[in-house]
Amino acid sequence: MEINAPFPYLLLPIAYALRNRIKRRERGDLLRLLIFGGIGLFVSAALFAVAFWVTWQALDYEELGEYLVRLSLSWLFLVFLSFLAFSGLVVSLSTFFLSDDLWLLMAAPTTGRRLFYSRFLRTCGQASWMVIAFLLPALLAIGMASCASPLYYVMASVALPSFVVIPVALGCAATLLLVNVFPARRTRDILLLAGLAFTVSLILLVRFLRPEQLFNVRSLPDVTAFFTALESRWTPFLPSFWVGETLFTALHGQVDWLHLGCLTTTAMAFTLLLRIAFDRRYFSGWSKAQEARKARFTRLRWIEQFVRRLPFEPAKRSLLLKDVKVFLRDTTQWSQLLLLLALAFVYLYNFHVLDLSQIPYISGLVKSAYAFLNLTTAAFILAALAVRLVFPAVSIEGAAFWIVRSAPVDMRSFLWIKFWTGLIPTLILAETLTILSNEFMGADPFLKAVSAAAIFFMSFSLVGLAAGMGASYPRYRADNPTQVASSFGGVAYMVLAVLFILTEIVLLAWPTSIYLWHFHRDLSLSPNNLARMITAFSLATIVAVLVFWIPMRRGIRALERSEE
Amino acid sequence: MIELSEVVKRFGGFTAVDHVTLSVAPGEIHGFLGPNGAGKTTTIRMIAGLLKPNAGRILINSHDLMLDPTAAKRSLGFIPDRPFLYEKLTAEEFLRFHGGLYGLENRDGLSDRISELLELFDIASWRSELIESFSHGMQQRLVMCAAFLHRPAAVVVDEPMVGLDPRGARLVKDFFRRMSRKGMGILMSTHTLEVAQEVCDRISIIHRGRILASGTVADLRALAQSEDHALTPIFLKLTGGEGLQEIHETL
Repeated sequence: MEINAPFPYLLLPIAYALRNRIKRRERGDLLRLLIFGGIGLFVSAALFAVAFWVTWQALDYEELGEYLVRLSLSWLFLVFLSFLAFSGLVVSLSTFFLSDDLWLLMAAPTTGRRLFYSRFLRTCGQASWMVIAFLLPALLAIGMASCASPLYYVMASVALPSFVVIPVALGCAATLLLVNVFPARRTRDILLLAGLAFTVSLILLVRFLRPEQLFNVRSLPDVTAFFTALESRWTPFLPSFWVGETLFTALHGQVDWLHLGCLTTTAMAFTLLLRIAFDRRYFSGWSKAQEARKARFTRLRWIEQFVRRLPFEPAKRSLLLKDVKVFLRDTTQWSQLLLLLALAFVYLYNFHVLDLSQIPYISGLVKSAYAFLNLTTAAFILAALAVRLVFPAVSIEGAAFWIVRSAPVDMRSFLWIKFWTGLIPTLILAETLTILSNEFMGADPFLKAVSAAAIFFMSFSLVGLAAGMGASYPRYRADNPTQVASSFGGVAYMVLAVLFILTEIVLLAWPTSIYLWHFHRDLSLSPNNLARMITAFSLATIVAVLVFWIPMRRGIRALERSEE
Repeated sequence: MIELSEVVKRFGGFTAVDHVTLSVAPGEIHGFLGPNGAGKTTTIRMIAGLLKPNAGRILINSHDLMLDPTAAKRSLGFIPDRPFLYEKLTAEEFLRFHGGLYGLENRDGLSDRISELLELFDIASWRSELIESFSHGMQQRLVMCAAFLHRPAAVVVDEPMVGLDPRGARLVKDFFRRMSRKGMGILMSTHTLEVAQEVCDRISIIHRGRILASGTVADLRALAQSEDHALTPIFLKLTGGEGLQEIHETL
């Protein structure tokens, strides 16, 4: 075999690893498959149904409907364009510069081109799978609703890969530039910068789109005006426009050679230019990225002073301080949090601009329903945060766990510190989200109080459940927290968390509705109803306390047993 | 086989490797010694093509590493101090993949070569097991199999004995000697001075990024004006025995 054998050879370890993973089953594989597969199928079916229905309805309006479909396609791809570029930036930093197997490949006589093409393909795959998974059912639905010919599906399968390559190549180019320009010891901090850039662009995008206009659906022209506002004189130069036009023309059984040509030739040109840039600057960038292991860091003295004043034993203080510093210095964790905060902002912003008074008669009911929807959303965000940050807290001690184990620290203190470190930020975020969204919406004061109290208890429960289960199902050999979160224990946590949240919502919604029904009719509560309300609220509290207490106890026991 | 001339590596304002010149002849086992942080691993990573030098030239089997990295790397085997292994691959799959990176395939006798090396390093019975189930010592042996798989002209080794049991250490030392007799040049960084004394033909001592001394043990003894036969006192004398006095005083 020539050393310059085709580049897919370098992707063989992924294929081997996948084959071995399928051959050797692990505990919880079936459960994971059922849950993730089920969720995936459900989401795909829902996307398909919504896209099919919207297209079907739109096409009823003759020319206007067609215009809407055309604009929607362009808009849909425009949103994904920025996501793909950002994703390409973050993923390429890992695949091209930080991945551990590069040590092996760089020491081998692997030519730059093979390495480039294999890594670029991997980057495109990793950066775009979520977008593709979202687009496929939507595009399929648009095609079926429009009774499109097979040409549409052929065009989609040609245009989509080209569309993915362009923004991902731009993201890779930005990474190459950053890695070469930035002070070498701060390469990883680029992730933080990337996170911030994306957050800002997302927020700007939301402000620019003004989604609240969609709620002013008094007449159809407003909707078309909304879509038209999205168009600018630059739009025809964007790949999102090209792919939209290509698919729209294909819906009518024709080929739009101009836009398809723009798309494919640009994708090829970008790949070629990127390869030339990598030929010239990759090794120096990679070499600098290795030096980044001696990263500059902040001493975080103020945190040290703050923790010293806390009424904890010295051992607990040390553990707390270590956890906080490790977290704050890991920029990869931060960039993900920033994204979450951006989404939370968008979420709150929506409530800020939501004008429910436009829906007369039922605005009170809608507000109450929204308040519970708020509570559920906040709880789900909390569970997602906990599975990502708190659940892996024990596992990420990893190879360094011997330090804690050999120290005179009992496992009870160890786990409680993990709990408190996770609880404080998540509780603040969840309470802020719930209180602000209810405030913006003008919910009933009773609902506000119930929501605030409920999210307080639920924070304790969800964080306790995560800390406890994380200790009961540790994965010390995992490379990163994401791997821990998607392990058997992590999936089991999410299942239990969802069940707990739904139980709590039912237990809280029932007595609240009894109260509101009486309150809005100026009726006093009968002793029977009062007793029912108290029982339901008490049950909700008991469930919350149990969900917090039992896993924590089990977690402490599991840690103590592992010491024996 | 391996030649470094005036090689420099700076990390910001810190010079980790300062005009290092060194050569390893065919059939020679060259020990590369130095205190912690002296610049050994940085030098070795530059030879392996993992770090870009700021100045100087590195030749491997007469190929300039900067001008013709592919040819230079093809002639080199590299055993890092903390090797990366694909944990979800079996030992055999890993070696096959590694062989492919160096252009080997079955018609070149890859299967036989893999079997031969796995037998030699005593891990043949583990060939179909996932690497994640290997102990540290077994992983180290597997990395050695990979480094010698393509019959390189020269090998650089960073701390070869770490994690090996006495039997494994003996095996590795014998293997290195056998390979050097066949003409392979080996550059070996180690902290185990007894190993260096036992195995190496020549030794270079690096300190604060500069080569302090280079030669046979006898040469180093003469340079340090020492009567000791053991390498440790010579090493301490040449590197100033830094820290030892302070440790004694502290204790």
